[in-house]
Amino acid sequence: MDFGLTQPQELLRDSIARFLAQDVDIERVRRVMDSESGRDEAIHGQLGDQGITGLLIDMDLGGSELGMQEAAIAAQELGRAAAPVNFHSAYVLAPLMLAGADAGDRKSTLLKGIAEGSLLITPILEAPVDDGRIEGTVLYVPDAAWSDAFLLETAGSLYLVDASVSGIGITPLETVDDTRRVAEVTFSGIDLGAAESLGGSAENTRRAVQAAQIALGADALGAAQKGLHIAVEYARERKQFDRVIGSFQAVKHMCAEVLAEVDPVQSLLWHAADAWDDGSDEIDHLAPLLKAHATDVASNAVTMTTQVFGGMGFTHECDMHIFYKRAGYDRQMLGNPTALREEAAAVMYG
Amino acid sequence: MDTSIGSEYDSLREEVRAFLTANEDVAVPAGPGFGGDASQVRERTLEWQKRLFDAGYAGRTIPKRYGGAGHEPDALASLVIEEEFQSAGISLGMESQGTGMFVPTLLHFGREDQKQELIRPTMRGELIWCQGYSEPGSGSDLASLRTSAVLDGDEYVINGQKIWTSGAREADMMFALIRTEADAGKHGGISYIVLSMDTPGIDIRPLMTMTGDASFNEVFFTDVRVPATNVVGRPGQGWEVGTYTLRYERNMLGRSNATENYFDGCVDILRESGLIESPVYRDRLLKLEGRVQAMKYHQLRLLTDMLKKRDSGAGGLIVKLNNCQLNYDICALAIDGMAERGVLKRGSKHVRDYGNWQRNYMYALGLIIGGGTAQIQKNIIGERGLGLPREPKPAAA
Repeated sequence: MDFGLTQPQELLRDSIARFLAQDVDIERVRRVMDSESGRDEAIHGQLGDQGITGLLIDMDLGGSELGMQEAAIAAQELGRAAAPVNFHSAYVLAPLMLAGADAGDRKSTLLKGIAEGSLLITPILEAPVDDGRIEGTVLYVPDAAWSDAFLLETAGSLYLVDASVSGIGITPLETVDDTRRVAEVTFSGIDLGAAESLGGSAENTRRAVQAAQIALGADALGAAQKGLHIAVEYARERKQFDRVIGSFQAVKHMCAEVLAEVDPVQSLLWHAADAWDDGSDEIDHLAPLLKAHATDVASNAVTMTTQVFGGMGFTHECDMHIFYKRAGYDRQMLGNPTALREEAAAVMYG
Repeated sequence: MDTSIGSEYDSLREEVRAFLTANEDVAVPAGPGFGGDASQVRERTLEWQKRLFDAGYAGRTIPKRYGGAGHEPDALASLVIEEEFQSAGISLGMESQGTGMFVPTLLHFGREDQKQELIRPTMRGELIWCQGYSEPGSGSDLASLRTSAVLDGDEYVINGQKIWTSGAREADMMFALIRTEADAGKHGGISYIVLSMDTPGIDIRPLMTMTGDASFNEVFFTDVRVPATNVVGRPGQGWEVGTYTLRYERNMLGRSNATENYFDGCVDILRESGLIESPVYRDRLLKLEGRVQAMKYHQLRLLTDMLKKRDSGAGGLIVKLNNCQLNYDICALAIDGMAERGVLKRGSKHVRDYGNWQRNYMYALGLIIGGGTAQIQKNIIGERGLGLPREPKPAAA
């Protein structure tokens, strides 16, 4: 019995946290948020140098060949830092989908590029492929405005389309969470022959999506923990009526309730990531259950901790809204809690 | 992540299974499916407790010289036993004031003769205990208690009143916090005293609770004389001795095994009524399932901390608050799943599971309040877990 992170996993967590504290501080996050594009071009290379992009990629391709537990650790720390990156898409979903592609030089080159942080591939699930043509509009595609290529999945088969081919129109969409952006992508009758066919299987894609759901849950947990941390710091310093506000039970109890809800989510996350790594059948209900529970708890947590700041919590100046919005994005992407509870219930109870 | 328990425990697992099979006739079911005639329930519970203690499953680490099995503390062995009992749906025995709170305290603070005399009959359910802590004016602020004992020769003379005393009428004995020194400060003048409930001068008045049981009582002391040797620990050490026991109470109220049994029972109710097909009920059920699962693995995390002798920090402080509320919410969904049948109570025609759901729904609310109210728990979590400052004392008027 040793339920918790191993020592190497704790070291990984600490080293990612150190890197983020030093290189991806809140000023940098705010610069990206305030920019028109919302793009942080340098971050992918930096994450590559840190080995964060290649956690799920084989060692001979430049990755570290670790598992979902390590990817969840990274996602949680990235959420805690509100780092401007769609980790769940670019570094969980994309490499895991590609891992199920037919073996070959092309697959290896792509995974190597992702591990380096030099190649940003954005997966599109249930892509509009019909009668040998890619035709249609896809909404809410992460990173689309600066993706190098799109990895289209249709009926279990994977196709890679370079973002520069003619016939792709991209319209950035305004998102509430400025730290991560999405776009509308329109494919205007691209011949499927112009895309690279990579094989693939529906089963592999399904597992990759479950992994990305776990990563989003981990991101939300990190954001909620950071929100609680800064709220408690504030409650220990801010004075009203000649007392620090954290000594008022109205404030103290809000913080205690948030901790009581958030802390056990860590254990459920560890268990879910572990079940994914083990290939356990349990993951079919656990992945949606974890994401539903983690993001629901996170939404409530940031709602409460924003109020700890009083009026400051409603300002742009206070960092709290960054984590508030972070949790909101994690909540909606790849299935919101209500939808995912239904999915988990279908697995468990028919 | 290693949640396995190791093959060295396989033989223990086999042993537990064999015990459960051999004792099927008396084994008390855990969860909502046990009830009926009160005296039969009581008799069977006591008989099961004897078998559990004699077989070494209750009070496992109690030394042999006090009649226990004398096993080394082994959290993994305890886990194996709990797992087997849980999957068989069988109760691990009385989680009573005597077995769960008094005995651990006595083992730590008691004199040899006290241990010799009291541990074995308590663990076998032959001596039933009640706890004399709360008073009408001392609830959450327990240390303000005023029931007093004055030394007269080699006896203490006790006067005062206790309240919320669970099981006082059925109890043979009481352990109580009593003020033995008036001038030794709020916490300093309290002693931990054991006394027989037969002692002249004790008057018990039942307090009917909302569950319909008279499980609470007021206990009045009028010149009650007990030997001075009935103190556990030193006179004046009572606050330390008594709060050591409270730690056990917090553990007792925070167990998650029963939570999972009740959750499974709730699923059964929704299946039988067909409501498991309803998206609205499914959503409620799955919300609970997320919490149940999170607390289940949270317990494994706390267990790992214990095995590694590592402080769990705030993680340990949240268990009572979360599990009591969770048990309450599970019962609420089960009762909704019964629709109008949910209005019935114990003893009624058509009642499901002996009315245990309705009773436990209210009982869980009692536990949210008892053993340190939810609000006191939140103070503790905020102050010890998050480092928020205590409420300042009001300025003297």
